Amino acid sequence: MEKPRPVIGPDNAFFWEGCKRRQLVFQKCKSCGHVRWPPAHVCPKCLEYDWEEIVSSGQGIIYSYVIYHFPYHPGFREELPYVVALVDLMEGPRVLTNIIECDSSALACDLPVEIVWDEEGEIPIPKFRLRKA
Amino acid sequence: MKDKYAIVGVGYTPQGKLPGRSSLSFHLEAGVNAIQDAGIDPKEVDGIICYRHFPPASGEKDVTPYLVAQHLGLKPTYLAQDAN
Amino acid sequence: MHAVGVLEAGFCRAVLITYGHSARSSDSLLKMLTSMNADEAVFGHFGAAAGYALAARRAMHEFGTGPETWKHIAISQRKWANLNPQAVTFCEPMTEEDYFNSPWVVEPFRRADNCLITDGGRAIIVTTVERARNLRHPVVSIMGMGMHNPSAEVTMATHLTGPTGAKVAGEQALRMAGITIEEIDACEIYDCFTYTVEITLQDYGFFRRGEGRDWFSEGTIAPGGRLPVNTSGGLLSEAYQMGLTPLSEAVMQLRRCCGMRQLGPETGMKKYPEIILCSDNGGILQTHACYVLRRM
Repeated sequence: MEKPRPVIGPDNAFFWEGCKRRQLVFQKCKSCGHVRWPPAHVCPKCLEYDWEEIVSSGQGIIYSYVIYHFPYHPGFREELPYVVALVDLMEGPRVLTNIIECDSSALACDLPVEIVWDEEGEIPIPKFRLRKA
Repeated sequence: MKDKYAIVGVGYTPQGKLPGRSSLSFHLEAGVNAIQDAGIDPKEVDGIICYRHFPPASGEKDVTPYLVAQHLGLKPTYLAQDAN
Repeated sequence: MHAVGVLEAGFCRAVLITYGHSARSSDSLLKMLTSMNADEAVFGHFGAAAGYALAARRAMHEFGTGPETWKHIAISQRKWANLNPQAVTFCEPMTEEDYFNSPWVVEPFRRADNCLITDGGRAIIVTTVERARNLRHPVVSIMGMGMHNPSAEVTMATHLTGPTGAKVAGEQALRMAGITIEEIDACEIYDCFTYTVEITLQDYGFFRRGEGRDWFSEGTIAPGGRLPVNTSGGLLSEAYQMGLTPLSEAVMQLRRCCGMRQLGPETGMKKYPEIILCSDNGGILQTHACYVLRRM
């Protein structure tokens, strides 16, 4: 079975459009400067609406990570075991992603990571790998 | 509000792996047992809250508080669906 | 909480709260898990276990807890379930070896860290203490309650390793009850995963941040322990009736009708419990309710 692909709606369209250009794009509030994630219609810090796009450096650290050993979705059965992580980006947002190209025993919270684009589907998916010191 | 309200009835049902039973049937059996455990007249129950909400299983009705009221023969003042 | 609201407002005299779910035998739960956030599904992230596992992994990093701590929670609760004929795992003891042999689901959680998935239902009725006095059972009153809802999904959450909603909700409940935490005789904690018990008890203040490792290691929450927790076996080992598993067990313990698992002389305690604290939470630690119940 196919893996779930991005479902684009009015709130997250800017994000996946950015991915098509291989850019990790976030909403930055024009009023208070807060960089928000997940996509939001109104800034949760100051309740203002206007925002501009910023492009992330793709550099961050692992806040937390887990290793899936159970196929919740048949599309991921072949990938097991795989790593899902929360990555704190330098620009502020914490994103849910995969850590790839690594032995999971090498992972730890607070390790530095960098973006790597997964080109498997029609839209490139932002994933991360350990950054060499 | 300290010590102003009390939990007076607790209703259990069989639990574990019980194929062939709908979610609604568990709501109803637990509800009937709670009423019997409390020893109150069902007509006294004038509020129903369905705890949590899940997508209905294939072939089952969506469990709503009005469906529970209907099946228990109640006409409550207050109906709600909620956690906590 | 809502039941008390409508009683207090005078809209109702008695409120019935029902739960029921063919969670194990039907496709309802699968529908819920696979209908989750599409932005997360792209990364193969589904369901509640992995969300809590992300919180738990961070706790391992910050507090030095982890499977060596959670095994005490899983095994202690199984000991309670082995005293409860209604528990799904009544006849299935769990040793330390069993815990560590339990397969990974979403590491750092093994299957033994996950709640059961059960078919079944549970219901309670809430009314006034005045009305309760004329009914058949000893009166179990709501002494205090509180709610707090951090409401943020995992990518926004700053509370995965506390303070969760338990801190403020617990403070509110104790304040209303007019008691300190030392006066709690037992706890019935919403234990969707072992880690939930650790973080909830920590946020209520039973031990300080990061002291869980030692606190759980002395059989503290098991039968005969200093603070019995989840005396029916809980969601991990009795049955998954959501927040009504802890609430109904607290009522039954205070009524003193729990047979072999009854807190009191039956399980090596000097006296029967008078005050029991219960919790409920939803989402990935996004909502929290705390109730203090007592036998009047």
